Amino acid sequence: MKKELNLKNAFFSFIKNYFVGFCIILLVVITMIYQPRFLSASNLLNIIRQLGPLSIVSLGMSFVIFAGYLDLSVAGTISLVAVVTVSLIEPLGQMGAILAGIVIGTAAGALIGAVVLVVGANRKSEALFISYGMGMAYSALALMYSGGVTQKLGENQKIFEVIGKGGWGILSVSLVIFIVCLIILQILQSMTYIGRSVMLAGGNPVASRLSGIPVNAVVVLVYTLSGLLASIGSVVLVSRVTTASPVIGKTYETNAITAVLIGGTSLKGGNGSVMRTVLGVVLISLMSNCMNLLGISSYMQSVVRGLVLILAIWLDSKRNS
Amino acid sequence: MKTKWVAKKILTAVYRQKAIAALILVFAVMPLVNTSFFTVYNMVDMLKSASVYITIGCGVTVVVISGACDLSVGGIMCLAGIITVKMMGKYPLFICIIFALLMGVLVGAVNGFFVVRQKSEAFVITLGMGALLKGVAQQLTDAHPIAGTNKAFFEFGTGSFLGLPNITVMMFLILITTCCLLRFTQFGRNCYAVGGDYDVAEYSGIPALRTKWLAFVISGFLAALGGVLLTARLNTGASTYGDTTALLVNCGTVLGGTSFAGGIGNAWKTALGLLLFTVLESALGMGSLNAYAKELVIGIIIAVIIGIDSYDQKRKAEMV
Amino acid sequence: MADEITDNILNICNVNKSFPGVRALNNVSIRIRRGDIHGIVGENGAGKSTLMKILSGVYEKDSGTIEFDGETVENTTPVKSLRSGLSIIYQEFNLVNTMSVGENIFLGRFRKMKGMRGTHGEARKLLDSINCSVDTHAPVESLSVSEKQMVEIAKALSFQAKLIIMDEPSSSLTTEEIRHLSVIIKDLHEKGITIIYISHKLDEIFEYCDRVTIMRDGCVVDTKPIKELGRDEMIAKMVGRTIENEYPERPHCVGESLLEISNLNSRKLKNISFTLKRGEILGMVGLVGSGRTEIVRAIFGADKVKGLILQIDGKTVSIKKPADAKKAGIALVPEDRKQQGLILPFSVKSNISMAALKGLAKRIFLNRGSEVCMAKRQMESLAIKTPGINARVENLSGGNQQKCVLGRWLETDSRILILDEPTRGIDVGAKYEIYLLMKKIVENGGSIIMISSELQEVLSMSNRILTISDGRITGEFDPEDTSAEEIMKSALA
Repeated sequence: MKKELNLKNAFFSFIKNYFVGFCIILLVVITMIYQPRFLSASNLLNIIRQLGPLSIVSLGMSFVIFAGYLDLSVAGTISLVAVVTVSLIEPLGQMGAILAGIVIGTAAGALIGAVVLVVGANRKSEALFISYGMGMAYSALALMYSGGVTQKLGENQKIFEVIGKGGWGILSVSLVIFIVCLIILQILQSMTYIGRSVMLAGGNPVASRLSGIPVNAVVVLVYTLSGLLASIGSVVLVSRVTTASPVIGKTYETNAITAVLIGGTSLKGGNGSVMRTVLGVVLISLMSNCMNLLGISSYMQSVVRGLVLILAIWLDSKRNS
Repeated sequence: MKTKWVAKKILTAVYRQKAIAALILVFAVMPLVNTSFFTVYNMVDMLKSASVYITIGCGVTVVVISGACDLSVGGIMCLAGIITVKMMGKYPLFICIIFALLMGVLVGAVNGFFVVRQKSEAFVITLGMGALLKGVAQQLTDAHPIAGTNKAFFEFGTGSFLGLPNITVMMFLILITTCCLLRFTQFGRNCYAVGGDYDVAEYSGIPALRTKWLAFVISGFLAALGGVLLTARLNTGASTYGDTTALLVNCGTVLGGTSFAGGIGNAWKTALGLLLFTVLESALGMGSLNAYAKELVIGIIIAVIIGIDSYDQKRKAEMV
Repeated sequence: MADEITDNILNICNVNKSFPGVRALNNVSIRIRRGDIHGIVGENGAGKSTLMKILSGVYEKDSGTIEFDGETVENTTPVKSLRSGLSIIYQEFNLVNTMSVGENIFLGRFRKMKGMRGTHGEARKLLDSINCSVDTHAPVESLSVSEKQMVEIAKALSFQAKLIIMDEPSSSLTTEEIRHLSVIIKDLHEKGITIIYISHKLDEIFEYCDRVTIMRDGCVVDTKPIKELGRDEMIAKMVGRTIENEYPERPHCVGESLLEISNLNSRKLKNISFTLKRGEILGMVGLVGSGRTEIVRAIFGADKVKGLILQIDGKTVSIKKPADAKKAGIALVPEDRKQQGLILPFSVKSNISMAALKGLAKRIFLNRGSEVCMAKRQMESLAIKTPGINARVENLSGGNQQKCVLGRWLETDSRILILDEPTRGIDVGAKYEIYLLMKKIVENGGSIIMISSELQEVLSMSNRILTISDGRITGEFDPEDTSAEEIMKSALA
C-alpha cells in the first residue's frame, strides 16, 4: 500500500515539477498533427541550430539563480556588447573586437555583483532592482554609444561569418560554442569547489557563511559569470543577424529566466543544474518553433512566453510553500 | 507633546526628503543652463507628465507600504490606453474607459493572488505580468501606435480647468483621496500594519491577506487610470509606452521616502519623488545630453536610490 | 475541596503538546485563582512559553481542557483570546515598530476608535492611568524596552483584560524601571486583574506573587502558595535531581592556556575577558538573552563587535569573518541547527563536507571520492542514523542532524570547538553519545566551549563554568565544588 502511494505521489510530483514541460510536449504533439512539416529533417535541424544566443545567456543566468538571485541586466549587457564589438572591428580587428566586447560585458556583470554585495541587498528583491536599474543604464549606454543607429557588419567579416553561419551539418558553430560553455559550466558546478560554494550559498547563505564558505565572493562571481556568458551570447547573436542594434538584447532576460525555470530549477536557490537549463532551453526552442509553424504572430508568442513565465514562477512558489 | 512630534516629523521628513532638496537644487541650477526651462510651456509639460506618474504612483505607494512592490504598472498603463483607443470608435467613451479600468482591477487581482495567496516573490511575478501585458499590447496594436478618434476625450486630455490641466486636476483628486485613504481609514492603517509586521497584524485580528490583496487591486486600477490619462493627453495608444514606467514609479516611491521594507510612507511623499524624476527628465533633456544619456543617468540614479535604501536597511540590521 | 470553593479564572487540565521529536507539555494542570498574581518559574525549555502560546491562541493544544472565566477555550485565535479578556505581553513584544504608540494600542480598531483623534485620545488616557508619559505619536521603534512594555500593558487594558500574562517582564529593565513596573503591577492587582508572572528573577516572584507554579521538562512539579515555599526549595524543584548514568565520567585533560579573550565589547556585551585551556570543557551558563551566544559568535567572527582581542597560544589573531576563525582552528556549532547549521534540502554528505571542502580540492577540482569517505567516516564514528550519506538531512531526527553538524567540524583541523546548546531537542540516548564524543575530543587534545541551559549537563561535563548575566561574566565556578543552586543564583544575578 505504501509503495503504491509513493509511486502515485512520485508521478504527480513529477508532473507538477515539469508541468510546463508537459504543456510544451502537448504543444509539440498538436503541431505534429497540424503541421507534419514539424517532423521534417530540415525543421528538426533548425531547432537545434537555433540553440544559440538564448541558450548561452541562460547558462549564465542559471548560476545566478543557483545562488538565489536573478540577473535582470542581461538585456542591457547584450545590447552594449553588441554595439561596442561591432564598432571596434575597424580599430581592433575582428578578434580584438570580440575580445574587447567580452571583456566589457564581463566587467559590466562584475560591477553589478560588486554593487549588490556592497549594498548588502539582504532582501533579494533589492538586488533584483539594482540589477534591473543598472541594466537599464547599460541599455542607455548602448543607445548613447551607437547614437541609436543600428550598425551593420560589413562584408568580409570572416570570423563573424563562421560563427554565424558556419558548421558541419547539425553542428553549427554556435551550437558548438554552446556545448563548450555547457561542458565547462557543468564541470564547474558539479566538480569544483567554486561550483559547490555557489550551490551551498544559494541553499542557505547563513549556514554556509558559518562554515567558512565565501558567500560574498559567490555573489560577485555569479553576476560576473552571467555578464561573461551574456557577452558570448551577444557575439553569437550579432554574427547570426549580422547587425548590431542598440536594443538587440530586449526580452533576453525574461526568456533566459523562463528557460531556467521550466527546466526545473527553483528560484529559491541551492538547487538545479546546468543540464536542467539545457532541457529548458530545448523546450523553449521547441515552443518557438511550434508557434512559428502554427502561424502564431510574434506578439502572441511573447504573450505566450509571458504566460509561461508566470506559470513557471507560480508552480515554483507552490512547490516551495 | 503632539507639536513636538509633528515638528520632529517634519524635520526628519525634509531631511529624508532628498527629493525636496534635489528639486530645489535643480530649480536653482536650471536657469543658468537653459532659460527655456522656466517657460510656462515647459512647466505645464512637466506637470502633465508628472500627473500621469503620480496617479500610478499613488497605487504603487499603497502596495509598497503593504510590504511588496508592483512592476506590472507599466504594462497595465500601456494596455489601458490601447483598450480605450481601440474601443473608442465603436463604443461610447465611458464604456471604453470602464473596460480599461476593469482590466487594471483584474490584473491587480491576479497579481495579488500570486503574491499573497501563493506567496510568490512580488518582484518576479509582477515583472513577468508586465512583460505579458506588453505582449498583449503589441498584439492588439500590431506594434503601431493607434490614434484616438474621440474629440471629447482629446479635449479633456489637453484642456484646462481653472488654469491647471484637466489631467493634473484629476491627479490631485486621486492624490488627495489616496492620502486620506492611507491616513484616515481602517484599510489604510491596516496597510501600514501589514507592511510593518505581517504577523503582528494578523495576531491583532487585521485581515492581512485581504488587505495586501486589495493593495494590488488598487495599484492595478490606478495604473489603468494613469494609462487612460496618458492616452487622453497624447491622443494615442502605443505599445511602446510604459517600458521604463514601472521602474521609475517604484523608485520614485522609494525616493519619496517609502521604503521597500514596508510600513512607512505616504502618497504625497511619492508625489514629490516622482515630481523630481519628471523635472530631472525634463532638465536632462534640455542639457547637452541626448535622449539616451538621459536614460543612462536615470538608470544610474535608480540604482543609487535603491542602493541607499538597501544599505540603510543593512546598517540597521547590523547593529548587534 | 478548597479548590472548588475558590473562584478560578483559569483552569488548565491535563494539557499535552508535542512538536516533532519533542514533548513540550506533559499532562500540565494548573489552577489560577481570580485576582491572584500567579508566578510560573522553570528553566529554559521547561515548557512555560509553549503553555503561554497555547493560552493566547498561537498554538493549538494536542489534548486536555482549558477553561477561561467559565468558558471552555477551544480552537482559539490570538484575537479571540484578546477579546475574551486574556492578554499576553511577550518578551519580544507584539508591536509594529514603524507605527505610533497610539495606533499600536488600538491596532485593527482604528474605525472603532473613530480615527486618529479618538485613537490618540483614548491611548493618552490609558497611558496616564498607568502613569506613563510616553507621547502617543511617537513611533514604537524609538521607545525604550520599559516604554514598550507600558504600551503593551495599555493595549491589554484597552481590551479590558481580566488576565494578563507577563513573560519575563523585567529582564531588560533598569532598577528604576523595575520599580515603576512594580507599582503598575500592584495597581493592576488592586483593580482585580489577575496576573500570570513568568520570571527567572526569584526575588520578584517572592515579592509579587501570591502563588507559584514550578515547571520542569514540560511537567508541573508543584503549585504552592508563596508563603509555604522557601527559596532553596524552589530552586531545587526547578533544577531537579540527577539521574544516574545520564552522563559519562568527567574528562580531566586540562592543560595550559590556549585561547585568551579580552576586552570583548559590543552593544550587548560589556568587557568580556576569559581564557580557555587546552583539553578543557568550559561551560557557559546564563539566561536566554544574557549574551552567551553573542560572545561565541564574536569569537567566531560571525558578528561585528566594537572591540575584541583574541590570542591563541599567545599570538594575537585577527578574526573578521567565520572563514578566518576556521583557519585559526575555531569551530562553531550554532544554537539553531535548522536555520543556521544545516542546509536542510541538501544531503548528509554535503552537509558534513561543507567546512572541509576546500581542503579536499586538488587544484580546483573537488575530490568526490574523499568527500564520500569523509561522510562515511563521520557517519560511522558518530553513529548517524540515516538511510545513507545521500539522504536529505531534513529527514533525520534532531540528534542525528546535530551529529552531522558536529561531524562537519570534526573533519576540519579545529582545536577549539564551540557548542551552542548542543543537546537541545535531542533524546536521552543521542545526548549520551554526544557527551562521549565531547569527552573523546578533549582527550585527543581539543578544547570545548559549551553553552547550555541544562544545569545538570553543564555541571556533569564541564571542567569549569562561567556564568553570564546581562552581558557580563558574573562568576567562575568549579563544578566539582559547586552546587546547581549556587550557579543558578550567579546566573540570575
